[in-house]
Order: sequence, then structure tokens, then C-alpha cells
Amino acid sequence: MEVKIAPQMSLMDKLKILADAAKYDVSCSSSGSSRKNDGTGIGNTVSAGLCHSFGADGRCISLLKILFTNECIYDCRYCINRRSNDVPRASFTPDEVCNLTMEFYRRNYIEGLFLSSGILYSPNYTMELICETVHRLRTLHRFQGYIHVKAIPGADPLLIQRAGYLADRMSVNLEMATAEGLHEMAPNKHRKTILKPMRQIQNGIAENKNELILYKHAPRFCEAGQSTQMVVGALPESDYQVMSVAESLYEKFSLKRVYYSAFVNVNEDKQLPSITAGPPLLREHRLYQADWLLRFYGFKVDELLTKERPNFNMAIDPKADWAVRHLEVFPVEINRADYRLLLRVPGIGVKSARRIITARRFGSLTFDDLKKMGVVLKRALYFITCSGRMMYPTKLDETYIVQNLTYQNQMGKGEKLPFLLDGTPYRQTSLFDEGQMLEGLNVV
Amino acid sequence: MEEKYIICEDSLEGIFTAVYDAYALREGHDHLHVQVGETDNYRLFATYLHSQPDFGKTEKVVRTLKERLGEHVYGSICRAAASDEADKGDAVYHTVVDGITGGHGERTMDNLRNPYVARAFALARRTANEVHHELEFIRFQELKQGVLYSRIGPENNVMPFVMPHFADRLSSEDFMIHDENRGLFGVHPARGEWYLVSGVEQGTAGLQEAIQYSDQEMEYQELFTIFHKTIAIRERHNRRLQQQMLPLRFQDYMVEFLQK
Repeated sequence: MEVKIAPQMSLMDKLKILADAAKYDVSCSSSGSSRKNDGTGIGNTVSAGLCHSFGADGRCISLLKILFTNECIYDCRYCINRRSNDVPRASFTPDEVCNLTMEFYRRNYIEGLFLSSGILYSPNYTMELICETVHRLRTLHRFQGYIHVKAIPGADPLLIQRAGYLADRMSVNLEMATAEGLHEMAPNKHRKTILKPMRQIQNGIAENKNELILYKHAPRFCEAGQSTQMVVGALPESDYQVMSVAESLYEKFSLKRVYYSAFVNVNEDKQLPSITAGPPLLREHRLYQADWLLRFYGFKVDELLTKERPNFNMAIDPKADWAVRHLEVFPVEINRADYRLLLRVPGIGVKSARRIITARRFGSLTFDDLKKMGVVLKRALYFITCSGRMMYPTKLDETYIVQNLTYQNQMGKGEKLPFLLDGTPYRQTSLFDEGQMLEGLNVV
Repeated sequence: MEEKYIICEDSLEGIFTAVYDAYALREGHDHLHVQVGETDNYRLFATYLHSQPDFGKTEKVVRTLKERLGEHVYGSICRAAASDEADKGDAVYHTVVDGITGGHGERTMDNLRNPYVARAFALARRTANEVHHELEFIRFQELKQGVLYSRIGPENNVMPFVMPHFADRLSSEDFMIHDENRGLFGVHPARGEWYLVSGVEQGTAGLQEAIQYSDQEMEYQELFTIFHKTIAIRERHNRRLQQQMLPLRFQDYMVEFLQK
């Protein structure tokens, strides 16, 4: 296979260019696959996933995240690698990718490979390059660690199937929440061509599950499932739209993860919003919180948002927001409430809810016990009773609770936000200067 | 009644032997305590007994724990015993007592209302978290002879839990992990069984200076450092978050943070 490369470029230069080009892809997880080493090569996978380092932006570095090439025939507005941009271009060879992966992996720098690519010549040509690289890594180098590859929309289904049998996880990026938005942003991409490989991978995984029931040693197809990502903040789409799309992806396409990427205007494109205030990190954070509520807490999007209230409250998190608007279900009695109801209490997570269920079999629990189990009492105390008593005399009143929760935030003792801390654009106090943030709560 | 303290060695064997000795006293458990290591502050109206680690007693305790409480609880108890906290002996001992006398079996660690169980649970969790961190943050460096070598400085004794992971993952590699805080080495010969070596502190004085890296090592360290730097998005820079996820005490051992 002939690969177009600049011959004089060093491996270091290539890595710099192609890691830089890959950094806007959010997916970093190495979870969902559990495989022992078979004794013939190097590597295994851990189902919980491992983050091997954290970058200066605080994002985890789990996989060697690179593009195979940043040459691209497409011209997507939001993308740094678009055809019309004048940026240095580079391409790896399959051997270079294999060697980097193997040597990084031996030193425990990474959990595996994340291989994406710009579209070189055609989707098929690009997908073939990706397949070839991963095939070499799996067979020649006997690499048994984690591999995440992109399915290139528009590539032949056979190539996608081939990649699926080599990779742990595949992903196709949805890019924009709405089909019109995608058309506006990425004139060469279409919703249909994105959803087609997504459906193919979903069916592949479902069929593979049946095969595995019959034949234990059948080859595995995308053991860790598939994921996708959406850019938020580039278009005026609402949180309700974004979350509804995510919900249907989970339900109808059986996705493992949907990632949300706060828009960064890398191209300074005039048609895109300028983000002088920095990327919309708080909004992204709220979307992830809601995503967790969908996947682990039994929430539906319609419970969190409506057409009339299409955006998340920036002042308090989606779960607390739901709770203060549904005070009729509270207070919840810790020693009696079922698991689903416990999960609805702000300050109680999946782990602490499980611990409560198992521990209360031995006898009734007190607030002190809850604290030891990891319940965040300063948030939960407004919503729970232990043996019929509240922790402090409090009012079950929306305004009162919201004021207390947000007052904690102002004191820096409330909700832990990952990005208010470092001179980054969002400051908790400034939120309260902007009255509209609190409108949804009728609090002034 | 007078309180009794059984003083034992700081090791899994030491703690389990003390648990055996405590049961052997047959005086009930309410006023008995297991203490790891000597104390500087003796209590006036208390008796202190000494317990010497004994392989036979340890084996009996291990067998009983596995049979009566199950592998899962046994694992948690081992992790609690690997903690660096001074009160771990008592927490482990009374957790065992609670599990066995209460007949809680596999659910022993769920009885978080019991303060000893809650403490053992917390200690085990701390060790497990640090083990998980070391699996992520250990950096191997390739030596001239082709051996992969790594230094770590963990708070808890994580080595017995870290080694099996790498022995599986890097089964075809010779590698060695060096716990600087305990003078403990985990050694894995390629395609062989791993083992621990301890008590060689005297011999490790010139170790750091004597280490010679392979020819490629520096190149890959540099490549990874560059990768690490490049992959961060400038508009999202957030050192506090980075430090929260990756505490400084680990960064001291990681190649990407050494070259500035």
C-alpha cells in the first residue's frame, strides 16, 4: 500500500501534528472490555478502564489519541483540518503507529490506541488504511490492549465490519445535534451517512452476542460498544434538543456513551460564534451531569427539560433542579425508600444508594452512618429523614432550599465544579449577577 | 474490665497472627485490641501482650476467613491490612469478629453501622484507590539489559495488588517495580511467576546512579512528553483540575512531568 507522506518529517514532528489534530475528539475511555493476556503477546484490558495521565486541561489521557493523517478532502467549518485551512499536514505509516503504540504501552504510558483520521482521497481509502494499521497491530505485534477506531462515514460496510472485529470500541461522530445544523457546518457530511455505520455497528454487536452464546471463542465484535460525540455551542440548539438526541441514541442505537464537546472556535470562522468568554464549559458540564442521570439514575429527558424550559439551570445541577421542582416526593425516608427513589435524592449517588440498601438490612441507619457511606449530607439534608427525623429543622420550600444550595456554592463549599477554579471564564459569583440564570426557579 | 492490647508486626502475617492469638485468649473480644507496631504512649490501666508472626497461625486464619466470610471479604480485609494507618490492626480484628460472631458471611463488609467495619471498609477503599492509581500512573523505563524498571512511592503497601495486573499485561517482559517507601521490590521474570523481595535497603544506596537506560528510552520519553503536552486544549487549560485528578505525589515519578 502506498501512503502519502512528507519524507523528511521526523516521527516527533508527525506526532506533534497528528496528536494536535486529534485533540478535539473527546472520547478517551478505555472501559467496557475485559480480556486477559493469552500468553502470546502483550496487553490485556480492564473493564473499568484506566486513565494513564492527565493533560494540562485536566482531561484524562488514556489512549494514544492520534489521527492517521490530517489531510482531508472535506471542508467542515468547525474543524481545524478542513481542506481550506493552511496547516502543516502529515501522515503516519502503519508501522510508525504500531511501534509508537507498542513502545508507549510497554512503558505503561497508555491503555491502547485511539485511531481516527482525516479523509485521505476517499472514505474507503482511509478506512482501509485504518484497518491495515490495526490489523498489523493485532496480528504482527500480537497487541491485546485497547483499540478504539473511528468508522469513517461513507466507507464500505465490509471495511467497517473488518475494523469491528479488530477494535474494542468504534465510534462515528454525530457532530451536530440537528440534521440542519450538520448540513450548515459540514456540507460534505450527511446525517444519513453517519447513522448508517452506527446502525451497522449496533447490529454487528447484537449478532455477535448471539454468536458468543453459541461459540464461546467466536471472534469479538466491538466488545466495548460504540460511542459518538456532539459539538455544543456552535449553533443555537437547545439543551433539550441535545439531550433528546442523546436519549434516542442510547435507546435506539444502544450506544455506550455520548460525548459532548464544548465548542472551540479554532478556525475563527465568521459564521460561527466567537467565544471570547472561552468554550461553554459549564453548559458542557451540565449536559454530562444530565447524561449520567439518563444512564445510571433512571431519569428521562422529559423529566429534566421541556419545550418551555429547554435549557438547564446554570446555578444548580440538573438533579437538584429536578428535586426542588418535585418537593411532593420528599422528604425520603432513608430506612424505607426503594433504590430508585434513593437515587433521586441530591447528594446520594449510585454507590451510596447501594450501600444504604445493603447496610440497612443490619438495622436502621443514622445521619452519621450516611456520612461514612459517602452521602453528601450538606446537599441531601433538605430531602431526607432518618427514622422519621430530619437532620436539622429545615423548610421543605423551593426558594429556601435553592437559596441554601446556591449559598454554599458562593462560599465555595457547594457543588464541586471542575473549572471554576483556575481563572477560567466561569465564576460562580458572576452567575448571580446575571438574573436570567435563575429565572426558571422564580428566585430573585 | 481491663483493656488488653496485642502488639504485632506491621504485616499481613503479623496482623493475622495477632487475630489468632486474640481468639486463643478466650476472654471475649470487647476489651481486646490489636495494635500494629509499638506505641509511644502506653496506657496506665492496660495490659500489653506481644505477638510474633507465625506462618501456621496465619494460614489457619486465612483459611477460616475464606471459608466463613468468602473470597470477596477476605480481599477487602487484606487491603485494609495493607493500609498505612495506625488503627488498621484493631479495625481488621473487630471486623473479623463481627463477621464471624454475627454470621454475616459474604455480607460482612456491608455492616457499615459497626464502626470497626466502617473503618476497615474505608481503609480497604483507600488502598484499593491507590492501587488503581498506581496501575494507571506507574511509568516503566527500559534499562540497557531490556528490563523495565519503575519507582513508586505509595502511602499504602500496594505492591501485592499491583503485581498481578502487570504480570498478566506484560507477561512476556522482564520487569521490576521498586517501592521506595518500603524498600520493597516486585520482580517479574518474562513468562515466569512474580515474587517480592524486601529488606535490601542497604544495597539500594547507589541504585539510582547505577541505572543505565537503553538507547531508545530517552527518545520515547521525549515522544510521550510531547504527546502529553500537545493533546491538551489551550482554551480549556486547568491546572487545578489536573492536580485534582493526578496528585503531585504521583507526578514526581512520571516521565511527562519530569522534563519541564
